[in-house]
Amino acid sequence: MWQFRQSRDINNIDRFVLLILFFGGIISIAILAEWWFRGEHIVNFPLFVILSTFFWYGIFRIILIWINYLRIKKPESVPAPKEGLSVAIFTTSAPGEPVSMFEKTLAALKNVTYPHTTYLLDSTQDQAFVDVAEKHGAVYLDLSNLPGAKAGKVNKALELTDEEFILILDPDHIAFPNFLDQTLGFFEDGKVGFVQVSQGYYNQYRSFTAAGAAEQTYTFYGPTQMGLFGYESSVAIGANCTFRRKALESIGGHAVALAEDLVTSMRIHAAGWKSVYNPVIVNRGLVPEEFGSFAKQQLKWSRGVFEVLFVELPKLFKKFTFWQKFSYSAIAFYYLTGMMTLFFILIPPLYFFTGIIPANMDFTEFLIRGSNVAFIALLVYLYVQKFLVHPETERGFHWRGMILKYSLWPVYFLGFVLALLNYKIPYIPTAKKAVIGSVTPFARPLIWYNILFLISVVMVFIDRRYFVPESELIFTSTRTWGMLGFSMLAFIQSMGGIFAAWGAMRLKEENPWEKIDVNHIITKKTKK
Amino acid sequence: MKSQTVNRLLFMAVALVIGLFLVFLLSIAGNKSKGPVQSTIDRIAKEVIALEEEYILKQRSHQRREKLAGFEALTHDIQTLKNPKIILLGASDNVTKESFETIIDLEDSLKTTFQLIHIYNAWGSKQEHKFPELSVETILKLGSVPVITWEPWLSAFSEEEFPGIPVPEKRDKGGLIAIANGTYDKYITKWAIAAKNIGKPIFIRLAHEMNDPYRYPWGPQNNSPEDFKKAWVHIHTVFDSVGAGNIIWVWAPHPSYKYFSVYYPGDEYVDFVGVGVLNFGTAVTWSKWWTFDQLFGSQYEKLNEFQKPIMITEFGSLNVGGDRPKWFADALKGMAEKYTTVKSVLFFHYPADNTITNKTVSWYFIDDKETKAAIIKQIGLWPDSIKYTAVPPGDFNIKNP
Repeated sequence: MWQFRQSRDINNIDRFVLLILFFGGIISIAILAEWWFRGEHIVNFPLFVILSTFFWYGIFRIILIWINYLRIKKPESVPAPKEGLSVAIFTTSAPGEPVSMFEKTLAALKNVTYPHTTYLLDSTQDQAFVDVAEKHGAVYLDLSNLPGAKAGKVNKALELTDEEFILILDPDHIAFPNFLDQTLGFFEDGKVGFVQVSQGYYNQYRSFTAAGAAEQTYTFYGPTQMGLFGYESSVAIGANCTFRRKALESIGGHAVALAEDLVTSMRIHAAGWKSVYNPVIVNRGLVPEEFGSFAKQQLKWSRGVFEVLFVELPKLFKKFTFWQKFSYSAIAFYYLTGMMTLFFILIPPLYFFTGIIPANMDFTEFLIRGSNVAFIALLVYLYVQKFLVHPETERGFHWRGMILKYSLWPVYFLGFVLALLNYKIPYIPTAKKAVIGSVTPFARPLIWYNILFLISVVMVFIDRRYFVPESELIFTSTRTWGMLGFSMLAFIQSMGGIFAAWGAMRLKEENPWEKIDVNHIITKKTKK
Repeated sequence: MKSQTVNRLLFMAVALVIGLFLVFLLSIAGNKSKGPVQSTIDRIAKEVIALEEEYILKQRSHQRREKLAGFEALTHDIQTLKNPKIILLGASDNVTKESFETIIDLEDSLKTTFQLIHIYNAWGSKQEHKFPELSVETILKLGSVPVITWEPWLSAFSEEEFPGIPVPEKRDKGGLIAIANGTYDKYITKWAIAAKNIGKPIFIRLAHEMNDPYRYPWGPQNNSPEDFKKAWVHIHTVFDSVGAGNIIWVWAPHPSYKYFSVYYPGDEYVDFVGVGVLNFGTAVTWSKWWTFDQLFGSQYEKLNEFQKPIMITEFGSLNVGGDRPKWFADALKGMAEKYTTVKSVLFFHYPADNTITNKTVSWYFIDDKETKAAIIKQIGLWPDSIKYTAVPPGDFNIKNP
């Protein structure tokens, strides 16, 4: 785990295979579309429109990701940085964060080989943090009582310092000694505004939630960001991003927003800077270990990303290149998935309680056409796993990640509603320590849904056993039980989410960083 | 630079071709008459229906099929059904979307249990034009035998399914000869296989009222009687070729257009002669109050020339311009003696029928006590030997009639 990793190179065969799958997929989708929109499928027009909108939005997202993979790109080589660059590393500490974690973080930063100055941007005013900074040779900056949370502290620190390059590192991240060697060289090109690297974790073994949350990021930090890089629209993700001071200054400092990282990278691109995404693991950090913290983090992001959709995107839109418009729009719409999921899982109860179905489709006909699209999507999904940063541990179907993504529909939906109502939520740093011993309220909608499902099962059974006329039973048999089966998929996934949430009750108190030996991190390239 | 552009275009083109090929392969896998996905789903669906029958339907205290227990043997016995000793009663009702409750309500109110249930199915490319498997399965599970009126509306076929067919407006002209020439065999064969898979007798009234030049596109305005016969024989042959021997073929001319025999495909292709007997009364301008004898009796001898059992496929009267209870009483009174070859009567019980006139008329008599009483009385007077007597619930020891 504590070893330098990088994703493999892309060659023409890879691009060719992805292009083939892209064409195959597009044709399959066209065939599906021709069938989907036949007039005979419409029973309830408004519902059909909603169903189609959501379904085709989902398909559209699949196309987007395929398009993204067409330009999958990795820097051809990592240039060695020139000597004598002035580099600052910012890491922040806030009240409630365990000082023992900073012992490791700062010790690891001390081991980063390229000469640099580490700054601890503190808002705890706790002597223990002053001491830990001093112990590891970091400069302590007291930045308490500043507005704008993390970004506020970063901007204040920018005023107080003068280094040309600034690495902003989350405090839970343990940097590898060669971190700066993997980023600084790219700034040789004077147009590069920031260099982003991948992100690994070290606590995914701790719980179902941690494993799932980590799984969700594997593809993103590998092939997805590599594709975005190919379209010149990499996303800075907060942690592990090395900025050129001039780039940050040109946009008036680090953006202050819920999705501050996304906004910052958008603004830097809009200002005409380029970026580099280097798919290497040169640091490992923490993922949320329990469902509640994860849900809060996701609520913050989804709310923030919707803010981007409503405010930032329209403002900057004209300044983007075509593909940046494309990619950033795709990102800004991402969290609509909550609303979509809610709609789809409500179709069966709607049918059971009111008898309404949104579309008169033959399920077999749908499967015959839909399975082609699904098959190609699966092939693409598996193929791009070649480009995961650490395929040996990251490969797979990521089913935990899928269950978590499903289970967060209440969170994403809430994020959307809050954005619509323009209701602000405070910036809270993602919890570094697990909140142990309670089931988060974010899991409640999952429990409600499952209760609704159980009621549906009982009701459907009683209805069919005693009330449905026998001449109607056969007609409605496959549809009713099919709907129940569909609902059961949602039930099982909700159970997965509830299980993840219940994990907080069983999680053992532990500080996972205490086991790390920062002096034994392997930085050599391992060739396969 | 130029060669790079060429390379790129080539790269794209080859990828596109392979992509197309990939989809082609996938489509072949899925498009076999029954692909792996479809057959799995079908199997699951069948399993679900079977489970539901076992754990829900059979747990009920009263099942309709119990009342038809005495008829059960006949539902397997195609030879007897082709020449039944009793008059098979049945009905159709177009408010039968996903349930036959309206028909069951009617039979309950007539104190009988219909041995036949009559449904309609049109030709075409859509879902609703496929063999009505669910309806047929339901009718059989309810203990009855299905009658399907199968209407060749060619305009409902898509050009995607049948490339090269004429545009819908021109398709009906000579439509029957196109059928006879095999243009629509793909559809007919699929339908025939599905019908065969049911494995029990099914009455099919194909292309009815083919001698009426005003109603249906398969009439003489578009086709010659020879074409009709050829089409009929062709369809019959397709059914034979897939082994669908469970069909009872009902050939049904319109009684008001006197030419019958020119349309008759031949003894070996027809099992029943069907005839619709509907009295519109004075509800529409072109009609007056006609009795059953006037409508049917006047043609009986001609229809009898074919020496086949006769099915009154649509039996009904409106309530305008005459005495409806009397109409039904007169029709049913001594039917077995008067019209000895009539072996089936299917009530036409449509609440909103606008197929013939531009005015919607209702054939419902379920709320008409006098009509119902007249029907019950007349059928009650029929000798037991020519009718099926429903078994009281729970009583299984009734012999076949």
